[in-house]
Amino acid sequence: MQINLRNKGNVIILDIEGNLVGPNTIALKNIIDDQIRESAGEPVFMILNMERVQMMDSSGLGVIVAAYASIRRNNGRVVLLNIGGNIRSLIVMAKLVTIFDRYDTEAEAIASFL
Amino acid sequence: MGEKTQWRIFLSLPSTMQLIYLIDTVISDILREMNFDEETQEHVNLAVIEAGTNAIKHGNKEDINKNATLEFLIEDDKLTVVVTDEGPGFEREDVANPLEPENLLKSSGRGLFLMEACMDEVVYEAKGTIVKMVKYKQRPNL
Repeated sequence: MQINLRNKGNVIILDIEGNLVGPNTIALKNIIDDQIRESAGEPVFMILNMERVQMMDSSGLGVIVAAYASIRRNNGRVVLLNIGGNIRSLIVMAKLVTIFDRYDTEAEAIASFL
Repeated sequence: MGEKTQWRIFLSLPSTMQLIYLIDTVISDILREMNFDEETQEHVNLAVIEAGTNAIKHGNKEDINKNATLEFLIEDDKLTVVVTDEGPGFEREDVANPLEPENLLKSSGRGLFLMEACMDEVVYEAKGTIVKMVKYKQRPNL
């Protein structure tokens, strides 16, 4: 599992590579928690780029749901970028499709915060 | 009439989450060998990882002195996976429905739901310490 953190303006972009399964998910959770802590209560605007995530289990789903809930609490937003068919179907199954905004390009995702 | 093919594979793991990747490796190969379509492979893979995670994490509480056992029964028309742990068990009806609005934003509690959504049959035996899951090559008419 590799996670690259980038900033574009006030938008945090996490490029995630690997399967979001079991203990792998802890690294993502820690990075998201760090970003929320560093924001010191200011709204966080975050893109999770999942182009290189082939698989996600309930632990991975739990991490992104927790991120959504924490970030929303401070009037921020977290959106998903480039999710594959299997992750899309997981989100649909878990009835989270209306919770997460999903985009196919980084430009669209960034524009959604404006 | 041709003879029915049947293979039985056992995997017994000390209860550490670091070994989840082994479950992924084994089930991925079995599903490829059985020629399930790609979407079904992803669903069954997910269900088996969820069941393994439950056995290791919730059943055996990651006690490496306890084993999680996965038995794969491969037949021409279906795959049966039996996952066993050494924990105290649980009652299925005590686990909240993650699709209820009040549970949607909870960070956990989706494992059993995903197993049941991804497999054709899921049966809990011995107070949930044994989980038997079946995926058919072609879903039977019910």
